[in-house]
Amino acid sequence: MVLASGYDALEGKNNGFSSISSLPMVKGSLEYNGVRVPFSLCRCFGTATAVEPSTSDGLTVQGIIANDWTILNESENDWKSHAAAIAQSIHLIKKRLQWKKLVVRLDMLSAELNKPDLWNDPVHGGKVSREHGSLMGKMKGVLAFEQELLEHIDMIKLAREENDAELEWESVKALLNMRRISKEKELEALLAGEQDPCSCYIEVQAGAGGTESMDWAAMVMQMYKMWAQQRGYRITVVDEMPGEIAGIKRATIKVDGEYAFGYAKAEVGVHRLVRISPFDSNRRRHTSFAAVAVIPILGDGSSRVRINESDLRIERFRAGGPGGQHANTTESAVRIVHIPTGVTATCQNERSQHQNKASAMAVLQCRLDQLEMARQAQMNAQHTKSLTDITWGSQIRSYVLHPYRMVKDLRTNYEVSDPDSVLEGDLDGFIMSYLSASLDKDDNP
Amino acid sequence: MRVSFIIGYGVPKFSILLRPHGSCYLCRPMCSSSTSALTTSQKPRTSLFLRPPTHSATLSDLQKWQNWAKNLASSVGSTFVDLDNGPDSTLLRRELKWLVEDVTEDGSISAEQQRNIRLRVSLEELYKLWKQRIEERRPFQYIVGCEHWRDLVLCVEEGVLIPRPETEKLVDLVADVVSDNQGLREGLWADMGTGTGAIAIGIGMILRSYGRIIATDLSPLAVGVATFNVQRHGLQDVIEIRQGSWFEPLKDVEGKLAGIVSNPPYIPSDHISGLQAEVGRHEPKMALDGGVNGMNDLLHLCKGAASMLKPGGFLAFETNGEKQCKHLVEYMETNAGGIFCDVNLVPDFAGVHRFVTAFHK
Ligand SMILES: C[S@@+](CC[C@H](N)C(=O)[O-])C[C@H]1O[C@@H](n2cnc3c(N)ncnc32)[C@H](O)[C@@H]1O
Repeated sequence: MVLASGYDALEGKNNGFSSISSLPMVKGSLEYNGVRVPFSLCRCFGTATAVEPSTSDGLTVQGIIANDWTILNESENDWKSHAAAIAQSIHLIKKRLQWKKLVVRLDMLSAELNKPDLWNDPVHGGKVSREHGSLMGKMKGVLAFEQELLEHIDMIKLAREENDAELEWESVKALLNMRRISKEKELEALLAGEQDPCSCYIEVQAGAGGTESMDWAAMVMQMYKMWAQQRGYRITVVDEMPGEIAGIKRATIKVDGEYAFGYAKAEVGVHRLVRISPFDSNRRRHTSFAAVAVIPILGDGSSRVRINESDLRIERFRAGGPGGQHANTTESAVRIVHIPTGVTATCQNERSQHQNKASAMAVLQCRLDQLEMARQAQMNAQHTKSLTDITWGSQIRSYVLHPYRMVKDLRTNYEVSDPDSVLEGDLDGFIMSYLSASLDKDDNP
Repeated sequence: MRVSFIIGYGVPKFSILLRPHGSCYLCRPMCSSSTSALTTSQKPRTSLFLRPPTHSATLSDLQKWQNWAKNLASSVGSTFVDLDNGPDSTLLRRELKWLVEDVTEDGSISAEQQRNIRLRVSLEELYKLWKQRIEERRPFQYIVGCEHWRDLVLCVEEGVLIPRPETEKLVDLVADVVSDNQGLREGLWADMGTGTGAIAIGIGMILRSYGRIIATDLSPLAVGVATFNVQRHGLQDVIEIRQGSWFEPLKDVEGKLAGIVSNPPYIPSDHISGLQAEVGRHEPKMALDGGVNGMNDLLHLCKGAASMLKPGGFLAFETNGEKQCKHLVEYMETNAGGIFCDVNLVPDFAGVHRFVTAFHK
């Protein structure tokens, strides 16, 4: 508040409509939403992070929320109701974007960008400037939205003062439109992570318990295939180790498409099934487990782990016998072991050994990238959350087919009483509720 | 389409390369072996995946076939494995998936498709083919008429050896030596006993516009298939196919070769009768039988290589395994008159000592 007026005084303006790019250069540091924002940001990259937007009479988004205006149905054309709904959305979006951390991180990146020797290491320089650009884009987007809300409020006030019914009507309509858009933005903000837009691998591994669990693992894999298909993603089976009697011991699929990782990461963990076993002649109830891992496929722009050819051991599963001209086989599965880390990748679904090797290398690369991200996240406390995303995780969901029918997420308590629909890929409810639950926690700023 | 044997010869670059020997080299491959086979041959059978989808079947008929075929595959269990290290049902089911991939237009049979599915072979043919696969143990690659090898799809048919996954690594070995050796990269290479043309094409993809390759085979069938594959990969400017026995068709390039690569027949004669059914009953003996201890052709090639390679030239052979490797290494190091150096034993991805490489001093 104080700062906003300070800025107005500096610019000699008092309309609160100043555009984001025309910010002044001021040295020092400012307090914004309780966060200290260094002015270097403005100085170097001309952004508005330092200044909380407000209306001409000093109303801010926080102020609107504090006013506690009743939020009515969209169809009620009440500007205060619209404004309150939008303000709440903005608040939620900021929370989902982890606003405080975002500001701190941007500050850090800006400081990096200002170092004269940044581009001595072009890979690092590229990484810093890419991340800076992406975070800045997110921040600007929210601030512009905030600004727009306040402008419309100013307009409405102005229209009232001047008895301009048409202008008022236009502005209320604009608010209604913003209110609708803000719902989409809330969803977008759920997938604001750096790797969220990536394609990914989904791996399913059967738990202990033999055929029971292998059958369950196959059901889980099928569930993801159907989910991915419904979302319009392209699926390729990379590796599939069938069980002796039924199901799979493990399988890896590649899911290609925008935000595949952002959504699928919500599925990491152990999935538990309770049912009457189709493999048990005594028709007893069985509990089976399958573990799910999700690995992002980083884009070309990202810096990826450099793999030393000499650190690899490439193995082919051998049927026995002397091989070579003696044997005719279409089996050409390849396993690659990264010796220093022990990380392995297998591919057996391609038709040539060479292609299997190439696919396995791609999986290995992503695993090592993920490991490296985990390592960096550990060093970089503000990203610790992603640590839990990358391990196989603990039990996250329970699918009960008997004696009652229900699927329940243990993290969010989200539940559905129709397991069939879930097993046919209807997972978005679970995914969205998990994503919002993990980002909307109260300890998030 | 008629595939002729001389596609490589009309190419100016090649002629320039070999011109010192006048024009007689042009006809040598033609004269060196049964000419009649050459002129009457050798249009390879068209691989399934290259045929036009002129047949069709209803979805339910096709699914019926697929279920029948799956059951047949499952009924095999591990009997072939126990019998002669043949395929098990998991592998056969995967082959079935690939067969579907090759005969349908969009690579799979799914309920979302229209009721009539277009096919590259008739439904009766599909029944016949899968019966052959299981009952006669006809190799899958002969059934579909192709083998996926490295990043290539090579056409193959009866009478021509199906390239093995092990052999892919021979190409990697060449890629390694040419990567930091311009002389080798831009030189003339020979793939002796080329079969489908696999090794030559693999190397051709690496040398591309730099070097040249002559690929030879004694079998007219192999020459036909290799010629077709070379054309299909657009490498007719890089690879020349010649027919004849080992070095015989290469007299004009004696002492000029930058590299010799070969996967000659190396199975000891008395192993032939006990081979896996897919191999013993269906693949050409001429491509497999290496004489009493399997070393006849390897040793012949090794001896010949001494005079064919230019100084600094590279040599890579595939063998039957450790025993033959050691034998060959010993020969090169002690009996070859000190012509070879850097003799090396290289394992395949299954850990079997499979390849011997060396340089001409
Ligand atoms: C084991 S196969 C290898 C084929 C191919 N290079 C591959 O790796 O797939 C051996 C090849 O040598 C050929 N061959 C056998 N005897 C030959 C000879 N005397 N001269 C030239 N080629 C011969 C066979 O026809 C066969 O194509």
